[in-house]
Amino acid sequence: MSDRFASAFGRRVVSRTSAEELGKLAHLVVDTKRLRVTSLVVGKGRKALVVDWEEVSGFGPDAVMVTGESALHPPRDDRERAAADGKLEMVDMRVLSDLGNDLGAINDVVFDPATGVIETLAVDDREVPAASLLGVGSFAAIVRAPAE
Amino acid sequence: MRLLVTGSAIRGLPVVTISGGEDVAEVRDVIYSPEAGRVVGLTLNKRGFLAGRRREVLPAETIRAIGRDAVMVDDEGSLIQPEDAPADVGAPPSGRDVTGDEVLTEGGTSLGQVRDVVVLVGTNGQVVGYEIDTTSGGTGYIPLSTQLAVSGRALVVPEATKDFVEDDLVGLGAAVDEFRSRLGIQ
Repeated sequence: MSDRFASAFGRRVVSRTSAEELGKLAHLVVDTKRLRVTSLVVGKGRKALVVDWEEVSGFGPDAVMVTGESALHPPRDDRERAAADGKLEMVDMRVLSDLGNDLGAINDVVFDPATGVIETLAVDDREVPAASLLGVGSFAAIVRAPAE
Repeated sequence: MRLLVTGSAIRGLPVVTISGGEDVAEVRDVIYSPEAGRVVGLTLNKRGFLAGRRREVLPAETIRAIGRDAVMVDDEGSLIQPEDAPADVGAPPSGRDVTGDEVLTEGGTSLGQVRDVVVLVGTNGQVVGYEIDTTSGGTGYIPLSTQLAVSGRALVVPEATKDFVEDDLVGLGAAVDEFRSRLGIQ
């Protein structure tokens, strides 16, 4: 079963140990080398906290279960701070090919909620395989140029 | 289909890292070598309105592609200090600017004056022609072949060039291949 970033945003993040709702899912952060989700951002603005993917015990259709409240931590480095600010959010991000041409914007990202593996990107309603993703930053996502 | 841009369209493009997705600089100017017939590098500004000049330069060898919307590099390490760059990029000889040079055919016909270079999109700076102010007062585009002579005031081009003065970049894109095959070059 696949899930989609756009439909996951706003989903409850719940502690498995206390059953308390800890916040709402705001962003998913992707490692472009491993092509998988590496962390989640819960909440927005200055109160945004980060959860490592390893602390997610179940990414379900109605709630994202995490191991406990202690799994949520403030951003630890520049990349996590950028992520907490939403600057690395892939949905709505501009897409450039490695040849320097603007391909549009990412509408959605399809991923496997069991493993966090990214499957495809929807770029202006075209499907782009995740394997062509080369980098994600605050300016753009870079993908290998499609064959002409 | 060849996609072409003028040098002036390259100025202001963001310089973006492929691995990081960050805009690390923007193009200030194009360093063109008329002898080599190619862009040998780019000078840079900081990103942002009125952010000022960046000291580093971008030699063509470290450019992955000059695109329609961005100049792509592997990472920020591709931007190097002028001292570390090849001499024609780090300290380009003066008088190399072809802008304003008269374009003369071998047979002695003046086609006009060079206004800009035309670069093949997706390459790291291959120049395929010139944008010119034609002698009749309009804008024209001519394909570049092996240049015969460059003086700093004028450049001499093959006689056949006068049959390939195009009105726009699309026309030049088509003309480049035909022109080259007529002259027997690849």
